[in-house]
Amino acid sequence: MDSVFLYLTSGLFLGWSLGANDAANVFGTAVGSRMIRFTTAAWICSLFVVLGAVFGGAGAAHGLGKLGHVDALAGSFTVALAAALTVYGMTRAGLPVSTTQAIVGGIVGWNIFSRSPTNVYELIRIVATWIVCPVLGALFAAIIYVVIVWLIRWWQPHLLRRDWYTRWGLILAGAFGSYSLGANNIGNVMGVFVASSPFREIHLGQWLTVTSTQQLFLLGAVAIGVGVFTYSRGVMTTVGRGVMPLSPVAAWVVVVAHGLVLFMFSSTWLQDLFGRIGLYFPLIPVSSSQAVIGAVIGVAAVQSGGRAIRQVRWKVLLKVASGWVSTPVVAALLSFVLLFVVQNVFQETVYVSGRDTATDCNAAKGPAVSNSTRLHASCSNNAPAKANALSDTRPWHSLARGTSNIQSRVTSRLYGPETRLRGPFEKRMPSESSIMR
Amino acid sequence: MARSILSLFGSTRALEGQIDTFLEKISEGGLVFQAGLNAFLAARLERAGERIEQLTALESEADALRRSIEMTLYTEMLIPESRGDVLNLLGDLDTLLDGFKASLLGIVVEQPEIPTIYHDRVRDLGAVVTEACEHTIRAARAFFRDVPSIRDHIHKISYFEAESDEIALRLNRSVFGSDIELSRKLHLRDTLRVICEIADAAEDCGDRLAIYAVKRSL
Repeated sequence: MDSVFLYLTSGLFLGWSLGANDAANVFGTAVGSRMIRFTTAAWICSLFVVLGAVFGGAGAAHGLGKLGHVDALAGSFTVALAAALTVYGMTRAGLPVSTTQAIVGGIVGWNIFSRSPTNVYELIRIVATWIVCPVLGALFAAIIYVVIVWLIRWWQPHLLRRDWYTRWGLILAGAFGSYSLGANNIGNVMGVFVASSPFREIHLGQWLTVTSTQQLFLLGAVAIGVGVFTYSRGVMTTVGRGVMPLSPVAAWVVVVAHGLVLFMFSSTWLQDLFGRIGLYFPLIPVSSSQAVIGAVIGVAAVQSGGRAIRQVRWKVLLKVASGWVSTPVVAALLSFVLLFVVQNVFQETVYVSGRDTATDCNAAKGPAVSNSTRLHASCSNNAPAKANALSDTRPWHSLARGTSNIQSRVTSRLYGPETRLRGPFEKRMPSESSIMR
Repeated sequence: MARSILSLFGSTRALEGQIDTFLEKISEGGLVFQAGLNAFLAARLERAGERIEQLTALESEADALRRSIEMTLYTEMLIPESRGDVLNLLGDLDTLLDGFKASLLGIVVEQPEIPTIYHDRVRDLGAVVTEACEHTIRAARAFFRDVPSIRDHIHKISYFEAESDEIALRLNRSVFGSDIELSRKLHLRDTLRVICEIADAAEDCGDRLAIYAVKRSL
C-alpha cells in the first residue's frame, strides 16, 4: 500500500503544478488588479477546486481514459511525472503551458511505448477542443461583455458601488471557475490513476458513499490547493497583465467565460440538457489557459468598439500559441523516455496489456503484478501467457535486454560470477521457464 | 467574512455620501465667491468679508472630507484601478475652492479700484468663471456614474474658460485704453488675471478628467 502511495506522488506533483499555474487563470486577473487579496483568492480557489474535483470530477476524467488506458501503476506514475515535469520545466523557463496538453502528450507517449493503439477519434476530439476551447472562451466573453456594458450604462451605478459589485462578482465567478477547474482538470491530475486506484469505497452511514475515485480526486485536489498556496502568487499577479491590461469588469467577464467553458466540458447534467436539443460536446479535460486567452481576446474584440484589440500583445500571444504546440510534443517524448527508464532501470511494469490484452490479462493475474489484478479481474482467459517484458520484440525492449546483460556483466565482475542484482521486477515476475511449464 | 463584506458595503455607501458632500462644497464655494465679488462691487466690504469666512470654512471642511476619502480608499482597498485618478480629481477640485478663496481674499484685502463702468463686466467674468467650475463639478459627478457624458461637460468647461479669457481681454483693452493711472490699470489687470486663473484651473481639471474617462471607458 505504501508503494502505491509512492506512485501517486507524481500525480500529486502534477496537481501541485496545476494549482500553481491554472489557479492563476481563475483568480489572476482579480489578484493582479488588486481587487481581491491573494489569501482570499487562494482559500476560495482551494475550497472550490476540492468541491469540483470530488463532486463533479467524474465526467471529464473518463475522457482521458478513452485516449489511452494506462493500466499499470508505475505507468500511471511515469505518465503523470512526465506531464508534471513538462509543466514545471516550461513554467520555470517562462513558457506558457497547459496541464491538459501535457497529460495528453504523456498518455500518447505511453501508448507509443506500450504499443497500445491510440484512440484516434478521441485524440482528434481532444485536439479539436484546443481550437474550440479558446474560440468558445472568446465567444462567451464577447457576449457577456456586451451585455454587462449595456447593463452598466443603463443602470449607471456609482463607481464605488460598481467596484463593490465587481469585487463580489469576481469572488463568485472565481468560486465557479475554481469549481469548474476542479471538476474538469482533476482528470488531468488523477485520471491516469483511476484504473489503479488504491482506495476502497467508504460508506458513511446509510446514504453517503465516498467512492475510491472520489477519494483519489480529493487527494489530487488537496495537492492542487497546496500548489495554489505555495506557488501561484507570482503567477497570479502577472497573468492579468500578460496578454492585455484588463479593467476589473473585463477581468470578471474573463473569469466567468473561463468558468463556463470548463463547466461545459465537465458537466454531465449540461451534456444531457444539450443532448435533448441535439447538441453534443464531449466531457474531457480542456485547457483553462486556452479558455482564458480566448476570453481575453473576446473582450478585446468588443471593448471600446474593438479598438482594445490594439492593446493585445501579439508577441506574448504567439509565445502562448507556440506553447500549445510544444507542450504535448515535449510531454510525449519525456513520457516515452521516462517509461523506458522506469521499465529498464528500475525494472517496474509500466504497462500490462499492450498489444494483446487477452493474453496479458493472465500475466497480470499472476503474482508478478499484483497492483494490476483489480484492473483485469474480469479477464477469464486461462491460456498461458508471457509477461510483456519477456515476450516483447520492440526495439526499445531489445535495447533493454542489452542493458540488462551489461548490468549482469558489471555485477559479476564486481561481486563474482554467481552474484546477480535482484530488482523488484525480478522478485515479482515468474521465471521464463516456469511460465513455459 | 459576511460581516466584513457588509461593513465594506456600508463604508462604500458612506464614501459615496462623502464624495457627493465634497462636490457640493466645491459647488457652494463657487456661489459664495460670486456673491462675495458682487458684495465687493456693491461696496459692501463687511458682507464680502463674511463670504471669505464662509469660503474658509468650506475649504477646511472640504480638506477634511478629502483626507477622510483618501484614507478610506486606501485602508479599505477600494477602486484599486481608479484610486489614483479619483484622488487626483479630488485634489484638482480642491484647488478650485482654494482659487475662489485666494481670489476673493486678494480682492477684499487689496481693494482694487474698479471704475463703475467695468462692474457689469467683472460680474460677468465672475459668473462665467463660476459656471466653468460648475461644469467641472458636473463632469466629476459624471465620472463617478455616467462616463460617456463627461465629454459634454468638458466641452462646456472649455467654452466658459474661453469666454472668461475673452471678457478679461476686452476688459484689459478698455482699462489700458482709459486714462486712469497706470498703477490702477496694473492692479486691475492682476485682479482679472487671478479670477481667470480659476477658470484655467477648471479647464486643466477637465482635461485630466477626459483622460480618466478614456481610461474608465468600457
